[in-house]
Amino acid sequence: MAEVQHTATSTQPIESIWEFVKEIDNWAPMVTGYQEHEKQNENDSTWVLKGDLGSVTRTLKFKVHVTEWAGPERVTFELEGINELMTGKGVFSMSGAGDGDGDGLSEITPPARPGFFARLRDAIVRFFVYKVMGRHESRPPEDRQTSAEPGAVRSELRFSLEISPGGPMGPMINAMVKPALVVAAEDLARDIVARVEAEA
Amino acid sequence: MSSRIPARWDLEVDVVAVGSGLGSITAALAAHDGGKRVVILDKAPRLGGLCAYGGGEVFVPNSRYMAKIGKQDSDEAARRYFAFLSGGFNEPGLTEKLLATYREAVEYTADQAGVRWEAVDGLDDYYYPDAPGSATGRYLAVEPFDGSQLGDWQSKTWASSPHFPPATHKEMYAWGGLANITKWDYELLGQRVAEDQRTFGPGMMGYFVKAAVVDRKIEAHVGTAVRELITDDDGRVVGVRAEKDGKDFFVRGASGVVLGVGGYDHNKKMAMMHEEAHDWNSATQPYFHGDHLVMGAEIGADTASVPTYNLAMFYGYNIPGEEHDGAPIFRSSWECGCPHAIWVNEAGERFTDESFYKDYQPRVRQWNGRTQTQDNVPPFLIFDTNYRERYPLGSFMPGMDIPEELAVKADTPRELAEKLGIDADGFEKTLARFNEGARDGRDPEFDAGHFSWSNRLAGDPSYPNPNVGVVEKPPFYGVKLSPVGVGINSHGLRTNADAQVLHVRGHAIPGLYAVGISAALLDLGNGYQSGTSNMRAITWGYVAGRHLGGR
Ligand SMILES: Cc1cc2nc3c(=O)[nH]c(=O)nc-3n(C[C@H](O)[C@H](O)[C@H](O)COP(=O)(O)OP(=O)(O)OC[C@H]3O[C@@H](n4cnc5c(N)ncnc54)[C@H](O)[C@@H]3O)c2cc1C
Repeated sequence: MAEVQHTATSTQPIESIWEFVKEIDNWAPMVTGYQEHEKQNENDSTWVLKGDLGSVTRTLKFKVHVTEWAGPERVTFELEGINELMTGKGVFSMSGAGDGDGDGLSEITPPARPGFFARLRDAIVRFFVYKVMGRHESRPPEDRQTSAEPGAVRSELRFSLEISPGGPMGPMINAMVKPALVVAAEDLARDIVARVEAEA
Repeated sequence: MSSRIPARWDLEVDVVAVGSGLGSITAALAAHDGGKRVVILDKAPRLGGLCAYGGGEVFVPNSRYMAKIGKQDSDEAARRYFAFLSGGFNEPGLTEKLLATYREAVEYTADQAGVRWEAVDGLDDYYYPDAPGSATGRYLAVEPFDGSQLGDWQSKTWASSPHFPPATHKEMYAWGGLANITKWDYELLGQRVAEDQRTFGPGMMGYFVKAAVVDRKIEAHVGTAVRELITDDDGRVVGVRAEKDGKDFFVRGASGVVLGVGGYDHNKKMAMMHEEAHDWNSATQPYFHGDHLVMGAEIGADTASVPTYNLAMFYGYNIPGEEHDGAPIFRSSWECGCPHAIWVNEAGERFTDESFYKDYQPRVRQWNGRTQTQDNVPPFLIFDTNYRERYPLGSFMPGMDIPEELAVKADTPRELAEKLGIDADGFEKTLARFNEGARDGRDPEFDAGHFSWSNRLAGDPSYPNPNVGVVEKPPFYGVKLSPVGVGINSHGLRTNADAQVLHVRGHAIPGLYAVGISAALLDLGNGYQSGTSNMRAITWGYVAGRHLGGR
């Protein structure tokens, strides 16, 4: 199982973040490697992404089922691979400034801060991911947090994702997808906040 | 002459090593150790070349590593084996030099560059024991390489190959070989990925890149494509024009330039012409365009070729949606070496020992002079549910649905044949005949499973004949295969025994060297087998680097 989490803080109120997040179409194209998605109903959608696995790029098709719309604080969902053996779940948690802890938002335990080596690996794969996605620049160093100016913070968006590749090669695939997921989680949380701020 | 000396060089060194596969990097190391200032330029965004995508097997007869695993060998036996492999299509002077130098070159990489080689116990020569001078234990591979030793270069090397998980040969055999790939120790392999422990080609190139850019601090530029050779008024190659970040980048190599840019797998037109194929795809990264042939032609370099039909042209497929650096990646189909799988042509007939690619390569290309057709193109991979229950197709593990774009599925052989567009009567007869022998682990028609190399590499050791099993359990599956190059091409620049490129008039072009696949395979002749390509890349790189260093 690969778990990642990224928190981005915003100068906008929690309601603005919720307004944006509750409509999948708003942020779907911000998902790293996004190709297309199709909504079957409010809770169910199918997605196609391109993602890096070691030195190759694979096209991943999967189903997303939203298990809880608990606005403005939380959206939880589950994933199931269509063309790859994979399951997963994720949460968008939104909180107002200062009440980020102990709010019961994170159904997924945040992973311990990884050691230096893991961070280095993440940075390597970040390079690969940006290459594949046509973004040749690498981003600032990884800190698993994207912050607005401290005084201006009014809300926080935390995106958590947990993926369990299945099949006999699961443990290896797991190690291969993890660094790309780290980047994906960071991008999504950061980009959502950036868009909400820009539209404010 | 198309070349021009620029008013100003962007970088001035003694030796420009173009490409960062084994050939160029070994030349860079040897030239550096001979006192030369060297730069390495590679078109790809990462160092290591195709060598870092491959199996990393290096064929070195009578090495000290063989002795360590208790295997006997002799130079005389090696000589006889290379003569057998060449089929008489080699150039004796080049073969002599190769045989006289490969051990020294490989030992240099171990002793001076820190490459940790070991002999692969139990991996036989392709034609062992039939061929004169053949032996077992001649293959070398590296011990796992720790990617973190590369420092800043860690992210700018090929850390993994899509063709090989990060296991060692020893582990692969202990875990039952490729056929048993679903039961390998993926906890361990996951750990290797997480810790960037590299094996096979990525591991091998880790050592070479480290020796060059970390230990020797040789300057290297990725994303830098060399476009033109620059000659002086006497026709001497004195530098290159490269392109970096969309701009010209002129690099002077006062002593010379080494071209080790591989072949032309991603120049479809060139590949189809030279390899005499109607279509061409590749397992390589998309950076091989035959630039050596173009740049060489501009200054009168001669080319040479070995017969196309015996080279490493595989057949395989692209898993829908699978790419590398924006180009579809093709996988060669090793599935046909497993039990319960065969190949047939459009007539529904088998035509080869599918488990031994040296047998299928010439047969698949066979030309029918009466009908003006290649009767075995395209081949179709056929397997049954016995196969599907045990072995994967590419990344599709047993139990997973295979997408229809990749494999056709049917309940009966007749229905499968109809769906694939092959002759149903012929196919049914073929299956009946094949299954009759396969029931006893035999293949009277094509003798699949004859070579121990095929048994070990693709076969299932739990079978009496590791490469043969009945194809009879529905549903049945069929995959139409396409030609897949692995970067080992028939045409290259003609070189001499100092690795210098020859002019069409016969003399050596001063300052120009070609190594690896960029140099025509006249040293081997008709004799490619796995490991000889890497071995000759190291050897000619060593020869070029020493020649440039004045030795
Ligand atoms: C799946 C697979 C498995 C293999 N396994 C083995 C094996 O076990 N043993 C073996 O002996 N062989 C194997 N091979 C073949 C082997 O990898 C090649 O023969 C070998 O890579 C040749 O090395 P080279 O020195 O010619 O350079 P390459 O490794 O081909 O590198 C050439 C480099 O030149 C660069 N380049 C190209 N054009 C330019 C330009 N214009 N300017 C700058 N740079 C340029 C490329 O980006 C590349 O990095 C395998 C191949 C494949 C695909």
